[in-house]
Formats: sequence, structure tokens, C-alpha cells
Amino acid sequence: MNVMTTIDESVWGARTDGVSALERELARLRRSSGAHAKEQGVPVARASVLNLVVFATREIHARRAAETVNELATRHPSRAIVIVADREPGGRAELEMHCQLSHPDGAQQVTYEQILIRARGAADRRLVSAVIPLLLPDLPVFLWWTETPPLDLPYFDDLVWLADRLIVDSGDFARPDHTLPRLHAVARSGANRYGVTDFNWTRITPWRELVTQFFDVPAWRPFLDTITGIRVGFAVDADGREIHPSQALLFIGWLASRLGWSAVESLAPSEAGGLLFAMRRPDGQDIPVRVRPRFIPSLDEGDLSGLRIQSEVGGRHAEFVVKRSETATHATALVTVGGRGMSERIVPLGRPGVSELLGEELTIARSDSIYEDALAVLVALTTG
Amino acid sequence: MTVAPPLANPLRAGPRLARTPQPCALVIFGATGDLAARKIVPALYNLALQRLLPAAFAVVGAARADLTSEHFRESLHADLVKFSRTKPINEDVWRSFAESVHYVSTRDGEGYETLRHTLADLDVRAGTNGNRLFYFATPPSAYGPITDLIKQHRLTENVNARVVVEKPFGHDLESATELSEKLQGVFTEDEIFRIDHYLGKETVQNILVLRFANGIFEPIWNRQYVDHVQITVAESLGIEERGAYYEQAGALRDILQNHLLQLVALVGMEPPVSFDAKSVRDEKLKVLRAIRPITMEQTDTNVVRGQYGPGFIEGAPVPGYCDEDDVADDSMTETFLAIRTFIDNWRWEGTPFYLRTGKRLPKRTTEIAIQFRAAPHAVFSQEAAEGMEPNALVLRIQPDEGISLKFGAKVPVQGIRIRSVNMDFVYGASFMVDAPDAYETLIIDALRGDATLFTRQDEVEQQWRFVDPIAQAWAKGRGPVPVYPAGTWGPAEADLLIAEDGRTWRKP
Repeated sequence: MNVMTTIDESVWGARTDGVSALERELARLRRSSGAHAKEQGVPVARASVLNLVVFATREIHARRAAETVNELATRHPSRAIVIVADREPGGRAELEMHCQLSHPDGAQQVTYEQILIRARGAADRRLVSAVIPLLLPDLPVFLWWTETPPLDLPYFDDLVWLADRLIVDSGDFARPDHTLPRLHAVARSGANRYGVTDFNWTRITPWRELVTQFFDVPAWRPFLDTITGIRVGFAVDADGREIHPSQALLFIGWLASRLGWSAVESLAPSEAGGLLFAMRRPDGQDIPVRVRPRFIPSLDEGDLSGLRIQSEVGGRHAEFVVKRSETATHATALVTVGGRGMSERIVPLGRPGVSELLGEELTIARSDSIYEDALAVLVALTTG
Repeated sequence: MTVAPPLANPLRAGPRLARTPQPCALVIFGATGDLAARKIVPALYNLALQRLLPAAFAVVGAARADLTSEHFRESLHADLVKFSRTKPINEDVWRSFAESVHYVSTRDGEGYETLRHTLADLDVRAGTNGNRLFYFATPPSAYGPITDLIKQHRLTENVNARVVVEKPFGHDLESATELSEKLQGVFTEDEIFRIDHYLGKETVQNILVLRFANGIFEPIWNRQYVDHVQITVAESLGIEERGAYYEQAGALRDILQNHLLQLVALVGMEPPVSFDAKSVRDEKLKVLRAIRPITMEQTDTNVVRGQYGPGFIEGAPVPGYCDEDDVADDSMTETFLAIRTFIDNWRWEGTPFYLRTGKRLPKRTTEIAIQFRAAPHAVFSQEAAEGMEPNALVLRIQPDEGISLKFGAKVPVQGIRIRSVNMDFVYGASFMVDAPDAYETLIIDALRGDATLFTRQDEVEQQWRFVDPIAQAWAKGRGPVPVYPAGTWGPAEADLLIAEDGRTWRKP
């Protein structure tokens, strides 16, 4: 475990001694980049639209995050402050800083500033004091927390207090069943100061869009009020290791919150290894909900594999189905009414990479109440 | 035209799900033509790729040719391979999209009856539910006859119908009014969507965002601070294969009447009450009406025309206009024009707007430059201020979309020396890739029934009212039309036009 002792300066840039030395170094880098560009006749702009603070506990995660941010730099020019809190034991508590400037691929005119803060030893509470002076003034702060955020620890509070938006990925949580309810509480208590979002929520946007499109069609819209059953499939590993179906539950939470359904019981495992529970429509009718694991090698664990919504109006039965292709590149959206196929469409539905997910989230500047409502239902289901 | 409004969809809420239109059948007249192949169908396919088309959607191609739906789809696929902005073609998505594509030959009245039955059938079978968008992608001469046939065969009866009409909308005021009246025999003005594809461009919409989402620009956006405005729409291309059309149109009708005057309107307009079709277009109309007319007698002193001769573009020799296909050897058609005009209202009184456009200019560029007045008093010595120029705010529409602000800064030496620097906001390489094509934006808007980015009858007519006297003056005048070598910024007369006022054209 204790292998990383030095920072790779070819990745993170030269080490600097404190915040003002770091700012001086960045200014020097900007000057030399400006001089270089002048020779080529291209003006260099330091366009910044946001501050992005990334928190990781391992350098490898930090490195991946930095690559992602770099990929996005032309679209979301930013100052990125990457914190690696690997808390290498033995040493004394201290913060080590590195910085560098880079031109994202093909965009000579945009520079991207990357700062690394590495926390050695028990330096967690010091972090915020190093981050504050490094933030570009007057621009929104996005805090991207890789892995499980320590929602109850003071240094998490310190950092989230700076943020306009907290971005997490519940797909990487060690215990989503424990962390999601806390995340909901954090979202609620921070509602006026920052918004919270989850890559697992971003991942289901196309699914929500497709389901929404079904009910834009006037002939099918009445079926939305009388849903009689839902099945959602999600991907699992070959070894069948138990995972938390957060995407599936967020999807159900979204439908339930938009349609006014309430939880009548908390989750119970079904025989097939998934979940089976009931929710109640506003008219008192119960809806069986089934969440089923599927082994699909092309998908990541937890990704939705398909969904089926059943409904009935005046004795006419309808099914709305979205099914992901085996290759995870497409989905088929199907509608059947009274046993007759009404519509079948193939649409692209790939597996977005982290940079696409982050890019999407960076375009939304405030809280997303639709997400918070969906999360509230998920929490109500899981905590009973 | 009465269909009960659909029940609201409670799922469609929040910032992420906003843009899909309601179910609709799109009928393309001129479906076998160039515009359908180059723009409309690629736009539709790319919308399908982005999952932006409604679940109930159908395309009906209509044209004279005798084709089966199967053949029509095949030819569309071939066009798509050539013209799609995203490649390679996603065959699964194409096949699925193509299933919603149909073809009806509208050679005669019987064809229109077939069209009516096809649409009625799609309303039920595909769920398009009486929502129809007719798209006139034919030569303008066919707009009238098609409208008559739509009426005669009752294609708009008891349904929600809208129509998209391509430019050119008429060739003068009279013909534009006539065409509007013709369309209004079938559609209400709210249902008529006149395309000016410039308005679909991201950066053109950004003019309104820059002006009206920011508090700092509007206070200086007037005659007190602005010395003059220059708008350039430059193309390095010639007329390609459009000789026959261009001979009739010229730069005046092809660019000034629509694109350039729309840009003037967006730059010059007062703040609208809100970003909706009526408010925005009301304000645009107001400023269009305030543009000082140029009479036939004033044309020579305020407008310069030119025609490109042989020259070089990007290092390669190109022929002169008169040597192009379908162009008369002694053609007097202008391929360049420069114009000085004023907006006679409280905000702009006395501030000249210089507009120019041309083909075979040195590069392809569209920009709007707001030139501010110089600092009122020379604080620094003349020597120090030698490199100083007045401030300019430049909105670059294409290529390299962005905004730059020019201001003076101190050169870091002992003592004072001042140089102009540009503060650049570049939309950035990947942003440009992501920016939707103008046709995608406009088709989605038309399907959604949002007319904000389309031109209204009164706007189009006002634009013709401005252009007509100039066209008449040129038609009467004898020539010769000044010739400029291809690859230069137009004839010397254009430089004189602006030099009279003690100003110069920018080199964009």
C-alpha cells in the first residue's frame, strides 16, 4: 500500500513552495506560453468559466480525473485543483503543491491550469485553507468527489462549503445503501448553497428521455396515469457479486416522484436475486415493481439493461419497452397496445465515458430538483 | 384546425429533458431536390442520433418523380453518406429512422389525394395525431402551386398544420406580399415559418444573449459610445452551380435582403420583453423600419456594387464571374456590395452601419464589429499612444466563433507606451464540433412551433422595401459594374465609400 512517495513531475508539473510561489510559477508558464504563441501568431486566451476541485485518495484516481478534465478543457475552460489525500503514514502532516499549464488537444488558444495538492499525513483539515486562495475569483466551484464522500467528516464539510455543485458517482460508492440516504440529507441541508448530483443520475438521462417521449404521444399519454407494473433490469458481474442497483432505483424514484407514487413497503429481495416491492399510485392502486440483475458482459455493473412499463386503460393493455442492445451501443424503444406493435425505434444509447458525464454536469450550474425528488423516493424505499 | 390540446406530460420536467418536439408528420415538398439532400435529411438523421425526434414521427417525401418509398430511402441514404455532419452513418439508427420515411409522387392531383390518405393513415398508425409540418424545399416558383393544391385537397383541414418556406421569399416587395397572401389562404401567419438559416446559427443567437443577458454592454450600445458598426459577410466561394439562380438574385437579394439586414436588426434592436416569437420579432421589425431608406437617386452615393473577375483563391486560379456556367458574358449582376446606412431612431441617430458582402473575397468570414469612439481626451503623449486604436467589440459568426474586445494596454517597459491588445473569447475547438447545425435547430423549433428564429411577413416586407429602390436604380443604371479580382476585398470604390467618412474597412 505504501508505495507512492514521490509525485511524478512529468504529469503534475514542478513542485512549488506554497500558494504564492505556485501563482508565480503559473504566471511564468503563462508568459512563456504567450511568447511561444506570439511566434506562431496565435493569441493565447486564459478563458475560464469555472473552478473544478477534484478530490481523490489515490494518485491513480487523481490522474484519471485530471485526464478527464483535460479532455473537457476546450469546452469548459477551467482551473482544476486536484487534491490527492493519500495520507501516507509515517511522514509529518504537510501539503505539497505542483502546477502546470497545458494546451488541450488541438486548441492552441486555450490554456488549462492544473494544480495538484497532495496531503501527506493527517493534513485533512488543512486542505481548505490551501484551496481557497487558489480558486479563481467570482467563478462557480464544482467539487468532484471520486469514490465515497466522507459525508460526516469535518473536512468534507470544509470543502463542500466552497462548492456551488457537488458531483459524486454512486457507482463508485463502497456502500451505496449507507451513503445515498446521507447524500440525500446533505443535498437537502445544502439546498440553498449548493446542488448535488450523481453520475448515476446522468447515466439514466437517455432512459428518462425515451420514456418521456412515449408519453408525448397523445394516443399513449392516458396509459401514464394507470401503470400496472414495472420491470427494470440492471447489469451485474459474472460472479454475481451483490451490487446496489442505484441507477434502477433512481429511475423508479424518478417515475414515482413525477407521478405521485408512494412507497408502501421497503425493499425485499425476490427469489431471482433481484428486488420485488410495491408502490402505490395516487388512486390507491398498488404497482408491483421488479428490479432484476442480468449478466451482460458489455455493460458496467449497475447500468440499466432494459425496462418494461405495463399499463391498462379501459381493458386495453399496453407495454412500453426500452431494451439495450447486447453490444451496449443502441436501444430499441417499443410500444405495444392491445397486443399490437405500434412503434419500434432504434436509437443510439452507448455507455458514456466519465468525460461525457462530467461535461454534461458542468453545463448545469445549480441544483436539479428533479434529481433530489427521485433520490428522496429511493431513500424512502431503502430505509423503510 | 382544432385539435384538443394534449394532456400535459408530467415526466417532461427539469433541466435535462426539454427539447423533444410533439409527435408530428413532416412533409417535404421537393424531396428529391438539393436542399432536402444536403440539409434537411442530414439534419433529421442527426436529430435521430441525438434522440431528439418524437416517438411518433413520420417523414413524407413529396416530389414529381415516380419513386417507390423504398427507392426514395435508398437515394436518401446515398445523400446522407455524402452530406451528414457526423460520419460514419450509424446504420441501425438510419434503418430505424428510414422506416418512418415514405414517398408520395405529387405529379398531379391524384398524388395529393394519396398524400392526404397517407397523412390520415399516419395520424392513426404512427400516432402523429394531426400534427403536420409542410416543408417547401422546392424552387420558389412552385410555392404558389403547391399551396393551391394543399388547399384544394384539404390537407390542412381539422389538423394542426404549419409550413416552412425557404428563402428567397419573393424577389421584391410585391412578389413577397403576393406569396404571403397566397400562403395565408391556407395557413395563418403564426403557422408560416420563413427560414433565414443565419438565425439558426449558435453565434447569431448569441448576439441576443450577449446583449440581453449581460448588464454591461447595453449602456454603451448606442450613439454616445459607438462610432460606427461594420458587418461583413464574406465568402471565398464563387457561385458554384447556382449560376442561373444567382444571375437573378445577385448579392443584393441573396445576402443583403435577408442575412445582412437580419444581422443589422439583431445588433440594432431594442431589448425585447421576453425571448418569444412575438416580442423578438416586434423589436426586430421596429429597427428594420427605422433603417434610413436609400432612394434610387441616393444609391450611387451610398451603395457600391462589384463583380469578381479572374484571380486567385487560396493559391489557385479561379475564373471571373462572367466566365462561370449559366452566366451571361455581359452580365451586370453584382457579386459584391458595400453599403452605408443609418438607423434613424433615438439609440442610433447619426451612427453609420457599413455593410458589405461578396463572393470570391479572400476568406470566408462573417463578423460584426462594434467600433467605439476614441477616448475623449488625449491624456498620454502622442508618442506613447501611437499604437492605440479605438476599442472594438467584434462578434465573429464564422469561422472561429467567438467574441473579442480590443483595448489599449501598457507595454511593460519603463515609461508609458500603449499598444492595442485583443481579449478573445473563443468558443473552442470541441465546442464547434458540438454546436448543432443551423438546420437542426430550426427544424426542431418549427416542429415545436416556436417561431422566434423565423422571419415574419412584416419583417420580410420591410426588408424588401429597403432593397427594392437599390435594385431598381441598378436595373436602370448603365454600368459598368466595377470589377475586382477574385481574392481581394472588393473594388476600390468600396474603400472610397468608407474613406469619405474618414474610416476604413476592417481586415477581418
